[in-house]
Amino acid sequence: MEQRIVQFISALRNSGVRVSLAESEDAFHAIRLMGVQDRDVFQMALRSTLVKDFHAIPVFDELFPLFFGHNQPPVGENVLQNLTPDELEMLAQALEQLAQRWRNLLDRLMEGDQLTDEELAQLAMLTGLQNIDQMRYREWMSRRMEQSIGLSKLDEALEALLELLEAMGMEMEKQQELKAAFQANARALSEQIRQYTGEQIARQISEQPPEAAQNEVYQRPFHALSEKDMEVLRKDVKRLASLLRTRLALRRKRAKNGRLDPKSTIRHNLRHQNVPIVLKFRDRQLKPRLVVICDISTSMRYCSELMLSLLYTLQDQISKTFAFAFIHDMEFVSPYFSGRTVQEAVREILVKNPSGYYNTDLGSSLETYVKGYFDTLDSRTTFIVVGDGRNNYNDPRIDLVEKINRRARQLIWLNPEAPHLWGSGDSDMLKYAQWCDLLLHVRNLSDLTAAIDRLLT
Amino acid sequence: MTQFMFQTPQALREALGKQQYIASDEIATILFLSNQLDKPLLVEGPAGVGKTELAKAIAGATQRELIRLQCYEGLDETKALYEWEYAKQLLYTQLLRDKLQETLSGITTLSEAADRLAQEEDVFFSDRFLLQRPLLRAILSEKPVVLLIDEIDRSDAEFEAFLLEVLSDFQISIPELGTLSARHIPLVVLTSNNTRELSEALKRRCLYLFIQYPTLEQELAVVRLKVPELSADLARQAVELVQRLRKMDFRKAPSISETLDWAKALVKLNASMLDENTLQTTLSILLKHENDLQRARKLIKQDQPLRDERRINRWPEDR
Repeated sequence: MEQRIVQFISALRNSGVRVSLAESEDAFHAIRLMGVQDRDVFQMALRSTLVKDFHAIPVFDELFPLFFGHNQPPVGENVLQNLTPDELEMLAQALEQLAQRWRNLLDRLMEGDQLTDEELAQLAMLTGLQNIDQMRYREWMSRRMEQSIGLSKLDEALEALLELLEAMGMEMEKQQELKAAFQANARALSEQIRQYTGEQIARQISEQPPEAAQNEVYQRPFHALSEKDMEVLRKDVKRLASLLRTRLALRRKRAKNGRLDPKSTIRHNLRHQNVPIVLKFRDRQLKPRLVVICDISTSMRYCSELMLSLLYTLQDQISKTFAFAFIHDMEFVSPYFSGRTVQEAVREILVKNPSGYYNTDLGSSLETYVKGYFDTLDSRTTFIVVGDGRNNYNDPRIDLVEKINRRARQLIWLNPEAPHLWGSGDSDMLKYAQWCDLLLHVRNLSDLTAAIDRLLT
Repeated sequence: MTQFMFQTPQALREALGKQQYIASDEIATILFLSNQLDKPLLVEGPAGVGKTELAKAIAGATQRELIRLQCYEGLDETKALYEWEYAKQLLYTQLLRDKLQETLSGITTLSEAADRLAQEEDVFFSDRFLLQRPLLRAILSEKPVVLLIDEIDRSDAEFEAFLLEVLSDFQISIPELGTLSARHIPLVVLTSNNTRELSEALKRRCLYLFIQYPTLEQELAVVRLKVPELSADLARQAVELVQRLRKMDFRKAPSISETLDWAKALVKLNASMLDENTLQTTLSILLKHENDLQRARKLIKQDQPLRDERRINRWPEDR
């Protein structure tokens, strides 16, 4: 049992749920206390000690039955038991006449037996199940295994069989009964296969070696990131954000000692007969308001995604964020973030705006912004553009940038492109640059983190 | 020694029931576990599902005092833990001036006077001048207590870090007095509305309980228990409507407490059925945003079944 729990915890970890050593120890304490007799209590004990995040609850609930399931998929019934000898004879004849490929399948389903462990192992070998270590392939693998025992041809086979039986003069009712029985057995089999694939994949997940830390990924330029690197970075955004948060919060706290606040000081020292024993200072630190505009065309995608992820993970340090994404036109994307994890939201935005050939056009995007959303900008707001300033020779609309600059507290541009390329080809960066209060070159995630640290101060 | 008298989760559940709190098996089991393991309990869930109420109920069921610490942005140690009572210290120095002079009489050098005074320093930094705030009170209490740290997600990240010592070792370090350990380990309940991620370190030290909106039957039971005056039929109708409203994409879905308020209002208005007029006038008890209200009114007026619109939900729909 303990071995099983350890495997379960390791599968949880490999599925992205963070479980610490202390928590797994708690889980064992809890189970010692509550026992394992009642499955529900057992599940609650494990869940309350291991899972501390409601997003992870579905993962837990999916994995739990695979490790501590009943292990008893429904057993099919014997098709033959309700038949009279005559009907049995008919069935046997009909089967004889059926094509070989259908006969094997129906023979198997007739008794309602489950697949043996060896058969399952063979099937798994055949379909390559041992190479799968992600739960999202479960349905696919189940289907492939069903296919390889011919379960997908059941309808065809049944139809052929019933036709033959009809010809032999079996009663309609009996035929339907037979059909239902075969189908029930088929369902039982596919349930067994599903359970098996789930368990196998879960076991393989639990056996993955933990990922090694890759510090070097932070330093890798955005354009050189692979999808796999991004996975690593996405996981790490949270850690980076908490680092930033502590730094910001401390800075904000220390900065409280601003100017003396006479009114508050007098009020507080009334009880000391107005002898100013406690001095009160004005707390002038306001949390920044942000408007972020992200280029999400293919070249800028990773940079923008990480930027949005970081900002939305840091929401408690920001008074308000309005996020926009653009390729050829501007879209207000803040609503995507309500109620989702940041990663889900970003994924959805990217699904809505698929990659492909797009005419990146910041000029007309800015026009949409100024027309529709200019009220999001005021003198307290920092306006941030994440983009490479490449406009495909469209009108850059410098006048709008100037207008935004005059209205916003500051305008910050984050550009992942190297400075010597600015102004080359279709890049309008140098024209925009004159209206930026701050223009930062962000090559990689470390740069991006540093930039955010700077703009949130 | 601080474990309470309930031997099984079922007993705990019944005791909670006597406090007019209907606990699911999950709540009772996890609460029981948290007490047996001496671990704080972190309760999350949408607003108004009875997280705070749970702490009150458990305090009532165990007949312990409930000490509540409401968190907010900017909460710091002096408000949560302790503060020296400067005014009182000052007052005492004034009043004891004669005594002090007596103590210091016959001393010629300054350093000698300082030494003598230092011997008496303990008088001024003693329990007498320590203003106990909720956390310290919970730790030093003579009897076991229930400590409720409400809406921990509203406090700052550094306050969370500061809580760690209290939650894992049940002790508090005060520079002038040393480390104070708990006389009885309090039953700690933390609640969070998930407005921000809590730190891993804090989560690690707690057991986790997620309270979802109740099912129709559960909510009906709560309404029948808390508002017995409402007729059974009407209660069921009302709860069904609330459950339907919850499935819609509102800015704020009605919570249990709002259902209860509404039920009470229906009693006061002597409503015998949920006709359109009653609904139109009382709906504002359930929905607090003008937009939501208008949409709900429109839908009810058209008397069409509320559609299950795709909902942008902070919480997972079902588990």
